[in-house]
Amino acid sequence: MAKYTYPQSQDLQNFVNARYRTAWVWQLVFLSALLIAILSLSALLLNVADGAFGYVVYEFKKDPATVSETPLAELTQPQLLALLQENLSKGAYTKLDKESPMEKRSRDELYNLLIERVIQIKIEKTYNLFDSLLHADVIRAEVAEKYPDATLEFRSWLTPAFLTTPMSSKAEFAGVRTALLGSLWLVAIAVALALPVGVGAAIYLQEYARKSFINNIIQTNINNLAGVPSIVYGMLGLAIFVRAMEAFTSGAIFGVTDSNGRTVLSAGLTMGILVLPLVIINAQEAIKAVPDSIRQAAFGVGATRWQTVWHHVLPSAMPGILTGSILAMSRAVGETAPLIIVGASTFISIDPASPFSKFTALPIQVYQWTARAQAEFHNIAAAAILVLLALLLTLNATAIFLRNRLQKRF
Amino acid sequence: MVRKTFENEIQHLKDEILVLGSMVEQATLEAVEALKKRDIRTSNRIIADDRKINQKRFTLENQVMILIATQQPMARDLRVIASILEVISELERMGDYAKGIAVINVRMGDNALLKPLIDIPRMAEKGVDMLHRALTAFVTEDLETARALPGEDDEVDMLYEQVYRELMTYVMADARTIERANWLLWAAHNLERLADRVTNICERTVFVVTGEYKETRTSFDELETPEEAEE
Amino acid sequence: MQPETPQYAIETRDLSIFYGAFEAVKGVNLNIEKGKITAIIGPSGCGKSTLLRAFNRMNDFVPTSRVKGEILLHGVNLYGKEIDPVEVRRRLGMVFQKPNPFPKSIYENIAWGARINGFRGNMDELVEESLRGAALWDEVKDKLKQSAYALSGGQQQRLCIARTIAIQPEIILMDEPASALDPISTLRIEELMQELKKNYTILIVTHNMQQAARVSDYTAMMMLYEDTRSGTVIEFDKTDVIFTRPTDKRTEDYVTGRFG
Repeated sequence: MAKYTYPQSQDLQNFVNARYRTAWVWQLVFLSALLIAILSLSALLLNVADGAFGYVVYEFKKDPATVSETPLAELTQPQLLALLQENLSKGAYTKLDKESPMEKRSRDELYNLLIERVIQIKIEKTYNLFDSLLHADVIRAEVAEKYPDATLEFRSWLTPAFLTTPMSSKAEFAGVRTALLGSLWLVAIAVALALPVGVGAAIYLQEYARKSFINNIIQTNINNLAGVPSIVYGMLGLAIFVRAMEAFTSGAIFGVTDSNGRTVLSAGLTMGILVLPLVIINAQEAIKAVPDSIRQAAFGVGATRWQTVWHHVLPSAMPGILTGSILAMSRAVGETAPLIIVGASTFISIDPASPFSKFTALPIQVYQWTARAQAEFHNIAAAAILVLLALLLTLNATAIFLRNRLQKRF
Repeated sequence: MVRKTFENEIQHLKDEILVLGSMVEQATLEAVEALKKRDIRTSNRIIADDRKINQKRFTLENQVMILIATQQPMARDLRVIASILEVISELERMGDYAKGIAVINVRMGDNALLKPLIDIPRMAEKGVDMLHRALTAFVTEDLETARALPGEDDEVDMLYEQVYRELMTYVMADARTIERANWLLWAAHNLERLADRVTNICERTVFVVTGEYKETRTSFDELETPEEAEE
Repeated sequence: MQPETPQYAIETRDLSIFYGAFEAVKGVNLNIEKGKITAIIGPSGCGKSTLLRAFNRMNDFVPTSRVKGEILLHGVNLYGKEIDPVEVRRRLGMVFQKPNPFPKSIYENIAWGARINGFRGNMDELVEESLRGAALWDEVKDKLKQSAYALSGGQQQRLCIARTIAIQPEIILMDEPASALDPISTLRIEELMQELKKNYTILIVTHNMQQAARVSDYTAMMMLYEDTRSGTVIEFDKTDVIFTRPTDKRTEDYVTGRFG
């Protein structure tokens, strides 16, 4: 019995305490790792929020009181129309009328037009959120001293109007509608390409392909493609969709004449190709996770492989496939580099109306705005980032919702 | 995987069978010796001791049933177990034969033996010897001995035949001896039955080893007198 | 008394099963009597399941598997060139080790197999009959639309049996059907097998010797060849013979628990 011994009494107590100490140290290490992650994420969010809200100092080029006796906000549509006719040059009015008949524009549109073209707000300076909150009196003193005629206002750059207005060259009138729609178009086209092709490929690889040298190479390549830098996909898209397939992607063969290959379709297909490996890998994992016993059960009652896959494997794998695919889509929403190569326009105020439209996308918009010199563009860039984050969150939430819902069925 | 526990249990049962056998052997030899010497006290003790044999038989039977229930023996194990049940029941019946001889001695009371006993002790010796070897063969699963032994039963049968004829001559000479002759014939018959049951044990041994049921009885056995009605 | 000539439901002729170059099962000759339960027993890894799965060609799914010899159903080789494995699997139903109902309703579990096999007739009737056949009807008749996963393990296994008899096979192959079940559920499955053998021939692989002894009429004992590690049937006889007086020493050792 004495051959093997274990610590006894006081020794045992010390030994156990030492073990608890080690465990505690490791627990602390993991906790700090988590804290670092949370801190960096918070810093990111705060940085964005810092830009998206804050004081803004602006002046009117033309005092509203000299334009109209009644306050502008109370004017009706015909009154606004009259004021615009009165204050705009003939040429400018005709040009606007050509874009869209002035009589048919809504009151809000006309109001914005009046502010933008006639009153002409001029932003003197913007302040970030933290400055605005912490040094409000300093700011007030500075403004009173430097811009005696200006108005100081606390403003959220992210407003409902920001979502619904198109691009503008003046930050205070600019919105992300075009970019948001562009992003949605991109995702829709990418999904339409990547989901069926990706799931199909995954089914083939997982259920049909036998182990062979060629299939191993294909599998390895798919895994590697998922890690290829996105800019490479951009060049691929440029070469294939924009140039080689221009007749198709510009819509020329469908009778569209006024565009080249740099369309939302080219970009969407590029994005589709970009996320395809991800979709395939995710779908493969989901299919792999379907227990073999279900396949055997189906074969056991005399089902063909197709019946087995279609009736049992796919429904069981669907939650996983959808989750994976939607996560892949959120990657597509965030990509910038390939879009720049494929030729996303940076200044577009017309909504993309068909796959053959020119387009811009949210990350492009953010990129372009942050590159501007004027500070107020940096503010709307922050607001656009918030929109982008919200869009990503929505997509991920949909993924989780779909997964839970489909899983609960049985 | 060897079933150590189970094998130990079986070995234990076999040892116990040898103990039970020795009790039967001793009872048989003593009963005949008591009859020969008209020792009624010993006979009474043998009658009383038969309960110990019966008791042991039930104890062993119970152990066998526990083994069946807990170990679920199969094939050879199953045959061994089933045969042990059979053998202990045979031994118990043999114990009854010894007791039967003791009862005869007690019933004879003051009557003298019709004749001095010569062949009956011989029968007892032969039968007990066969029983001893048969049990040893059973315990060691000695197929050869088990197959050979039943042939020796003829010797006992012949002795019985001899006792029978001899007693008949007494009865024919003097009809009044019929009761005393009958007592001795009865004792001889018990010994003849004992030897028959030894062949049953041998059959069991053959069954354990080969899995075959084989009748080894000699044709003479079929002539046996009606089954005794004692007890 | 006329000795009846036994009718064979299925026969194997020198059946060998290979995985790549490895011969997993070697030279098996079995005549499986109709309307009887035949058990295949033997130590782990001796190829019992492999042999069973050869009958309904489930081994086809193992890419490197290959079969030599014949399995004859009514004299027709199931591995013949013109034979469609899908059709084989309908005629030889299979019940697996772990209950594996489809992730669908109880009703659909039975109806699906029938439907894909082109069943024409009253589906409700078929579902009820199959569930009755598997002694499950009374327990589930009020919840046919509920998920099969809500059933207990034993009920799931009986559902799998119902699903199998719904496609009216000639032979039911059972691969350790009770090994994942509790003792009471196991006994119910065993009782059910006695009912089923009135209409079907049953082939069962089991690790549990007592189970083989309890349920089967015939028993095939499998064992590995020491040198090649291939499994083969070393003794095939009536179950009572195998469990009371087997002729092969290895069978003896196995059924008495002295294998090793």
